[in-house]
Amino acid sequence: MEKNGKGFSMPKSSLKSTPSKDDSSQKSKEGRKVQFNNGGSPEERFDYSKSNGKSSSSADKGGRGSTANGKASKSKEKEPLELRLNQELLKNAKCLMDCEAAEIIQGIQDQMTLLSQDATIKLPVSFHKGLQYSQANARYTNTHSVRRVLDTLKKHGVVEGEISVIANACPESTEEVFALVPSLKSKKSILQEPLEVALMVIKPLRKVDSTSV
Amino acid sequence: MFFHIVLERNMQLHPRYFGRNLRDNLVSKLMKDVEGTCSGKHGFVVAITGIENVGKGLIRDGTGFVTFPVKYQCVVFRPFKGEILEAVVTMVNKMGFFAEAGPVQIFVSNHLIPDDMEFQSGDMPNYTTSDGSVKIQKDSEVRLKIIGTRVDATEIFCIGTIKDDFLGVINDPTTT
Repeated sequence: MEKNGKGFSMPKSSLKSTPSKDDSSQKSKEGRKVQFNNGGSPEERFDYSKSNGKSSSSADKGGRGSTANGKASKSKEKEPLELRLNQELLKNAKCLMDCEAAEIIQGIQDQMTLLSQDATIKLPVSFHKGLQYSQANARYTNTHSVRRVLDTLKKHGVVEGEISVIANACPESTEEVFALVPSLKSKKSILQEPLEVALMVIKPLRKVDSTSV
Repeated sequence: MFFHIVLERNMQLHPRYFGRNLRDNLVSKLMKDVEGTCSGKHGFVVAITGIENVGKGLIRDGTGFVTFPVKYQCVVFRPFKGEILEAVVTMVNKMGFFAEAGPVQIFVSNHLIPDDMEFQSGDMPNYTTSDGSVKIQKDSEVRLKIIGTRVDATEIFCIGTIKDDFLGVINDPTTT
């Protein structure tokens, strides 16, 4: 098997990777993918269509199980684009690191215990799962410092999504960063030094985990 | 990955909720309708963090309902292809294993598990390396990469891989 998962050709009925195909105006051919919108008023406005068009066309090229060199290089370009695409797709969104999300969601839970007079307001399952996940992955003692340090990488062309992935992964070395975020490889020469400095600064801010090996 | 985002929604309110507490009723209804839902565009709405703006209500013809456009801020969780996640294994079988990261389910096929790991059946099915040094079983923590996503009625389902560099088991529950 090829080392990276892209070479593995999956049957047609299996998952497709693009957010565009989840758009309610384009129902899946197989009839499997269902856009969940609340019955009454499904008008949540979002500027999504342009980026969707780009991602679906690139996914179609990649999804055929490329073997030729030309196609392989196109599918390799497609993968790094996906993480950058999320910047375009969620234009008005701020990417949160898991530690930042943990603080926000914990704050809401604390408020809810005060506002629990209305018995009909119950926190949904996804809230508890989101809180548990973000707290488990909140690896830093000082989220603001980590945010400040990693935001300095923006001037070297690193986007917010990539910064969040770097923060959440708690990498030990720049080699690990470039392996986990392949879209940064093209800027390796520019990023090597600032990334090393940033990782050195945030390393002491990590929480000590007694269960880690 | 978590996002903090501003969304807009048209909320319909029955006249019985009008009065002094109109805004509170609108916000409660918004929370009941939106929190915990999932869509392909923005993933799971984990929590509403605030209301930015409530527009003027418009009475709908033929009914007494009034529609208010509401802009609200919320935290959403949406997985993306290429993202690196740390997930907890929930089930292992010979086809691969299932893991959970927040509200999202991820499946890692045995084809996307390193070749030196083999499935061991038994009371606690697992994938183990030939020398027994690395084991993936229920409750193990693994770092994986998302390679595909699908949106179902109420959840997002992902396919992942641990076959790349720096991916795999983080924490084996048997060693803790």
